[in-house]
Amino acid sequence: MVMFKFLREKIKNWAEKISKHEEEKAEKEIDIEKLSKKADKIKKEVHLEPSLDKQLRGKTIGDSLRSLEEDEPKKEGFFERIKSKIQKVKISEKEFEIYSEELEMLLLENNVALEVSEKIIKELKEKVVGEEFLKKEIEGQIKENLRDIIEEILIEPFSIVDRIRGKTADQAKDPYVILFCGINGTGKTTTIAKIADHLKKNGISCALAASDTFRTAAIEQIKKHGEKLGIKVIAHEYGSDPAAVAFDAIKYAKRNFINCVLIDTAGRMHTAKNLIREIEKIAKVCKPDLKIFVGESITGNDIIEQVKSFDWALNIDGIVLTKADIDEKGGTALSVSYILKKPILYLGTGQEYNKIEVFDKHKFIEKLGL
Amino acid sequence: MLEKLGEVLRKATDRIANAIFLDKNLVDSIVRDLQRALLEADVNVILVKQLTDKIKKSAVDERIKGIEKKEHLIKVLHDELLSLLGETKKLILQKENRIIFLGLYGAGKTTTIAKIGDYFAKRGNKVALIGLDVHRPAAKEQLQQLAEKNKLDCFVNFEEKNALRAWKKFKPQLKDYNLILVDTAGRHTLDKELVNEISTLSKEINPTESILVMPADIGQAAKKQAEEFKNILKITGVIITRMDSTAKGGGALTACAETKAPVYFITTGEKINDIEEFDPKSFLSRLLGMGDLQSLLEKIKSVTDEGKQEKLKKQMEEGRLSLDDVIEQVKSMNSLGGFEKIKSMIPGLGKAKIPENLLENQQAKITKWEHIAKSMTPEEKANPELLKKETSRISRVAKGAGVSASDMRSLLKQYDMLNEMIKSGSSMDINNSGMPSQKQMMKLAKKFGKVKKMRF
Repeated sequence: MVMFKFLREKIKNWAEKISKHEEEKAEKEIDIEKLSKKADKIKKEVHLEPSLDKQLRGKTIGDSLRSLEEDEPKKEGFFERIKSKIQKVKISEKEFEIYSEELEMLLLENNVALEVSEKIIKELKEKVVGEEFLKKEIEGQIKENLRDIIEEILIEPFSIVDRIRGKTADQAKDPYVILFCGINGTGKTTTIAKIADHLKKNGISCALAASDTFRTAAIEQIKKHGEKLGIKVIAHEYGSDPAAVAFDAIKYAKRNFINCVLIDTAGRMHTAKNLIREIEKIAKVCKPDLKIFVGESITGNDIIEQVKSFDWALNIDGIVLTKADIDEKGGTALSVSYILKKPILYLGTGQEYNKIEVFDKHKFIEKLGL
Repeated sequence: MLEKLGEVLRKATDRIANAIFLDKNLVDSIVRDLQRALLEADVNVILVKQLTDKIKKSAVDERIKGIEKKEHLIKVLHDELLSLLGETKKLILQKENRIIFLGLYGAGKTTTIAKIGDYFAKRGNKVALIGLDVHRPAAKEQLQQLAEKNKLDCFVNFEEKNALRAWKKFKPQLKDYNLILVDTAGRHTLDKELVNEISTLSKEINPTESILVMPADIGQAAKKQAEEFKNILKITGVIITRMDSTAKGGGALTACAETKAPVYFITTGEKINDIEEFDPKSFLSRLLGMGDLQSLLEKIKSVTDEGKQEKLKKQMEEGRLSLDDVIEQVKSMNSLGGFEKIKSMIPGLGKAKIPENLLENQQAKITKWEHIAKSMTPEEKANPELLKKETSRISRVAKGAGVSASDMRSLLKQYDMLNEMIKSGSSMDINNSGMPSQKQMMKLAKKFGKVKKMRF
C-alpha cells in the first residue's frame, strides 16, 4: 500500500536535518572553543596582538581546524574531552521556529489541515524547546515527541462487532442501530455494504434502511448491494421521509430478531441547514447507538468544516475514511481525529466488499516512520 | 461558498489600499493572512509560497514609474491569483461531439453528465447520454432516471456487463445526435484493469473530449490526481464539482492550472442547473466581492422561456401584471439556482450582510405563494386589489391554501411593489435582447442591497 509513503519520508528527512544541523552547531561551538583556547595559547607564546585573535575567531571553521591539526596533532585527547562535554544541545525557541516552519510545510503538503498542523507544532514546541538532548539522540528524541503527539491525537478504535454483541446479548430484543452520514459522494452506501458484509461474516445479522430517498437511483443501489450480500433492505418511495424508512427498518429488525440496522442517508452538504436538520430528525426518531461519519481520505481542509457541522448536529461517535487506496498522504486521518477526538473505525480501500480495514493506530504510526 | 477566502482576499487588498505607508511589518502580516487563507483553501503549499514570495518581493523591490506602489501591489496580487487559476478555455462544440467523462469514485460524474446534457440541450443540441458504468450498482438506473427527469435521451443496457460491448450495441443508434456524453465507472489511475478498460474504450469511441470530474474538496492530492489522469488517460478538460458548501476548490482549481488542464465548468449544487462555465476572471472577481454579472446574465438567458418573456414584456408595457405573472417571475428566479446564488453574482451584494435565514425563508414563502394563487378565483388573480377591498376574501383564500393571513399580505405587498416598479417609469423595461440591460441589473442590485427597506 502506498498510503502515507510521502509523509513518512518527509518526516524522516526533516528529523535528520535537525539533528544534522544541531551536530554542525555543536561542532562549530567546539571549533570556536578550540580556537579561542588555541589563540590564547598562541597569544601567550608568540605575544600575538589582540586583533589577530579576533581574526582567527572569524576564520572559517574548516581553515582553522586544518591549521589547528597541522599545528598540534598530539593534543587531540584534550580536544576530544571538550567535544564530549558540548555534545548535549538545547534547541532554542528561535531555532525551533525555523524548523517548525519546515515541519508545518510538510504537514500541509501531506494534507493535514492548517488548523491541525498548527496545533501539532505548538505541542511539539512545548515538548522540545528548552530541553537538553544528547546530540546523537536528537533525531530520535524529536521523532519520539512527534510520535507521542500523534499517538495522543489518534484514538484507539473500538470494535463494532464487540459492541453489537454486547448490546444484543443484554437486551435480546432491540437491534443495534448505526446511522451513517457524510457529504455527497464519499461512499456511504458502499461503506455500508462493506460493513454489513463484515458483520455478517462475524455472525451478526443485519438489515439496511434505504433512507437516501433523494438521490436518483440511490434506493436501487442499496437494494442491489442487499441482493448480492443476501441482506434485507427496507425501502420506501423516493421523496418519502427518511426518518420513517429508518423507523420501519428498526421495527422490522425487532420483529425478525435481527441484530443490527445500518441506516444509509442521503449525502448532504454540511452547509445545507435544512438537510442537517433532516438528519437530526432521523437521529431523534431512531436513536442510533452509533453515529458514523463517512469522509474521504483525500479531502483537504474542508474535512474540518464537514466533521464539525455533522458533529455539532449529531454528535458523531466514529469515523470511516474511504478511498484510502488512492491516498498516499494520510493527513486527513490526523485532521479528523484531532478535531473530533473520536476514533477512526475503518478505512475503505477499494471497490470490493472485502476492501475494508479496521483502522490500526499503531500500524498507521509505524507507517509514518515514527 | 468561498466566503471566507473572499473575505481574507478583500481584507488584504483593503489593507494595502488603505495603508499610509507600506512597511515591512504590514506586508508581512498581510502575507501571513494570505498564506493562511490560501492554505485553508487547499492551494498547493509550494504554489502558496511562490505567490507570497512574489508579493513580498514586489512590495519591497519593484517600483514602477507613474504608479503608486500600493496600486502596483494590488495589481500584482490580482495577477498572481489569476495566474493561479489558469487560463480560460471554453468547451466549444464541433459538428460531432463525443465526450467521455472520467474521475474518481463519487466525484459526481453521473450527476454532472445530466447537467452538461441539460446545459447543451437548452442551447439547441441533440444530446444522448450513454451509461457505460458497468461496475457500480445502480449507476445506470441513476443516469436513466436523471435523463427521464430532464427529458434527455439516454442509452443504457442493464444486462451488458462489458462497457465495450455495450458501446458497440448503442453505436448504430447514435447517428442523429451531435453531442454524445459517455458516463464511465469511477476509477483511479493506479488500477490497471480500469485504466485498460478506458484505453480500449477510448480507441473505440474516439472521443473529441475526455473530461475529468473532480470534487472541490480534494486536498493536496489534487495535483497528483490531475497530473496522472492527464498523462495516463489523456484528459482534455476538467469539471469541478461540489463548489457549493465550504470547500474552496483551491486544490482542484490550482492543480488544473498547474497541469494545464483547462477547467470547463464548475458545479454548485444538486439541482440540474447548478452548473456554470468557469472563467477565472469572473471567478476571481466574485471571490473579491466584485460580483459576476456575466454569469448571472448567462444564467437568466438559459432559464427564461422566450415566449413567456414576450408576454411579460407586453404586460409590463401595459403597466400591469397579474398575480400569476408575479409568481411566475419569482419562480424563474428560483430556477436560476435560488437567491443564494444570485446574491453571489450581483455586484455589491456578495458583501452585503443579509440575515442568514432571510433567503431561505424567502424560498419557503414562494412555495406558499403558489398555493395561495391556486386558491384564488381567476378574477382575483387578475385584480388582486379586490382582496384588499373585501378583506373577507383574504381569510377565505388563506383557509383554502392553508396559510396565514399574514402570508397573504406579504404576497400582496410584493405584488404592489413589483407593479409600482413597472409603473415608475420605464426603468424595468426590457431591451431588445429580451433581457434587462446591465444598468438595470445594477439598479436591481441596489434595490436588493437595501434589504431592510425591502420587505418581502
